[in-house]
Amino acid sequence: MKILIIEDEKQLVKSMAQFLRQESYVCEVAYTASEANEKILLFDYDCILLDISLPDGNGLKILEKLRENHKTDGVIMITAKGSFDDRIAGLNLGADDYLPKPFYLPELSARISAVIRRKRFDGNNKISFHEIDVDLLGKTVSVSGKEIELTRKEYDLLIFLIANKNRVVSKNAIAEHLSGDDAELMDKFDFIYSHIKNLKKKLTESGCADYIKTIYGLGYKFTA
Amino acid sequence: MRLLQVSLRSLLLYSLILVLISIPISIFSIRQIINEEVDESLALHTNQFIKHIKSYEYLEDLEMDLKIWDQLSYDIVLTPSDIMSAGQKYETISMYDSIEHELHPFRTLSSNIIIKDKPYLLTIKMSLVDNNELVMALGIVQVILIVLLAAGLLLLNRSLSRKLWKPFYNTLNQLKAYELDKSESIIPEKTNIIEFDDLNKTISHLTDRNRKVFLEQKEFIENASHELQTPLSIFQSKLDNLMQIPGLTESGAATLLDLEETAQRMARLNKNLLLLSKIDNDQFNEVEEIDLAALTKKLLWNLHPMADLGNISIQTTINPLAIKANSTLLEVLLTNLFHNAIRHTNVNGKVTVEITDRVLTITNTGNPLKMNPEKIFERFSKEGRSENSSGLGLAIVKKICDTCLYELHYNFHSGVHTFSVAF
Repeated sequence: MKILIIEDEKQLVKSMAQFLRQESYVCEVAYTASEANEKILLFDYDCILLDISLPDGNGLKILEKLRENHKTDGVIMITAKGSFDDRIAGLNLGADDYLPKPFYLPELSARISAVIRRKRFDGNNKISFHEIDVDLLGKTVSVSGKEIELTRKEYDLLIFLIANKNRVVSKNAIAEHLSGDDAELMDKFDFIYSHIKNLKKKLTESGCADYIKTIYGLGYKFTA
Repeated sequence: MRLLQVSLRSLLLYSLILVLISIPISIFSIRQIINEEVDESLALHTNQFIKHIKSYEYLEDLEMDLKIWDQLSYDIVLTPSDIMSAGQKYETISMYDSIEHELHPFRTLSSNIIIKDKPYLLTIKMSLVDNNELVMALGIVQVILIVLLAAGLLLLNRSLSRKLWKPFYNTLNQLKAYELDKSESIIPEKTNIIEFDDLNKTISHLTDRNRKVFLEQKEFIENASHELQTPLSIFQSKLDNLMQIPGLTESGAATLLDLEETAQRMARLNKNLLLLSKIDNDQFNEVEEIDLAALTKKLLWNLHPMADLGNISIQTTINPLAIKANSTLLEVLLTNLFHNAIRHTNVNGKVTVEITDRVLTITNTGNPLKMNPEKIFERFSKEGRSENSSGLGLAIVKKICDTCLYELHYNFHSGVHTFSVAF
């Protein structure tokens, strides 16, 4: 799967590409708007990560160009300007998602997979990990064909972990994914721990292998 | 006391002293002038009388005639004397005035003259102005003068203060109403008075420059916060990659976690600073109808897991309320107040949220403030050293209330902190 990163900060691009390549994404980079304009016309991408403020132009113009040329690439806007107007303008121009800086790479990864799934399967899709099947439309999870009951948070947690499978995800990233700004209120370990514990219990009780590994109190890794 | 009153007071005092001093001086000088005039005319009369008499010296019985004439005339007294030498003497005497029944001052000139080789004493008298009457008349004139002067000055002062000082008061009122973060600039009224124009020019210059510096400062904070987002992203992304390196040790993981916590703290701080400067820069001016009750319920529902961790109970009494507001600001306002309540509630404590009559009241049980309650809404005034708190939450609440003209109150009473916002 091909991803185009349009971002002028080389260090950030390097980290994003490094992280996403582990997920076997093919990452291409455009550091300027003109480079980006060239690439989007020549190639199709599964997902474009678009920084709004570029040295030689506004990223919103690139969005317009994509739509003018009837491209259906998924687009996630990334911006340092947490500006509401930009977000609305971007989403109106057909961007699929919006991620303000600074962000966790696992969060980016989860958003990318969500965008790609939506684009590929028209929203009607399932994801699987060994004996776990998730029906994203019906929001149901089954283990070896047998449906299990998960709370909303446990379901979100499972999707997030599967999107970041084989990678260490810090509990800060999980907390923010599950609770947004409310995450700053709590002792993350307690909060995350209870959800992880419940999810683990529900999965293993229905005969699923224990895929959630604890990494020293730093976070968790979902791996076979 | 007004400036004009001060100057008026001096003016009045000066005029009063001047008028009071002028009374004796005028009396003295008028008297002097009258005396001189009277003396002159007495001398003239005497001279002419002597001349006339000389021309009648041929008459035989002049002596007899003079005696009769003396008895007939009132102003002139001619009596025989025995002083042969010539001489004149001026005198002021008092005589009884039979008409006014009082003593009246007269000026007399007594001259020794010789008529037909016989010495006579010629005394001519002229009435003088009565001292008392003069003082009275002058006094009345001066008093009228003082009254007219004072009344004139007062009236003049009033109309002056109204007309002349109008531009000054206009400028003053504009300055009073001036708020660096809201008002555009002061537009002073054009006057013909150099001092006021000078003052107005200086004030305009000063406020314009202050405003420019203030705007630059605001822009700087916003730009700085923006610019910080990118290095923070790089930092976080490097940490995310670092976590993936195989063979991570336990101490390595702990360090990574600490680094990430610190990065998050920076990011949160930066986000709040950016939010503050955006509110300052009026970037949240779109207003829509918002169901405050529903929003409150939604936010509180999301917070239940956090409250449960501290075994904090949340009680609500929420009456329907819809207000016109900016959705972002309102959500931040509520979130910050709720976060603050939950963060500072003791374990097993209680938070209550109530909406009645356009007032949102949030209470939480907790320890009394260690800091001055007046400082509770100031930036970076933290109660204790909570690592999760940026110290900006309540400052943002205050800023939003100031911007949207909501009334914000805080008090602490018998172990309960109460925040209220009147919309």
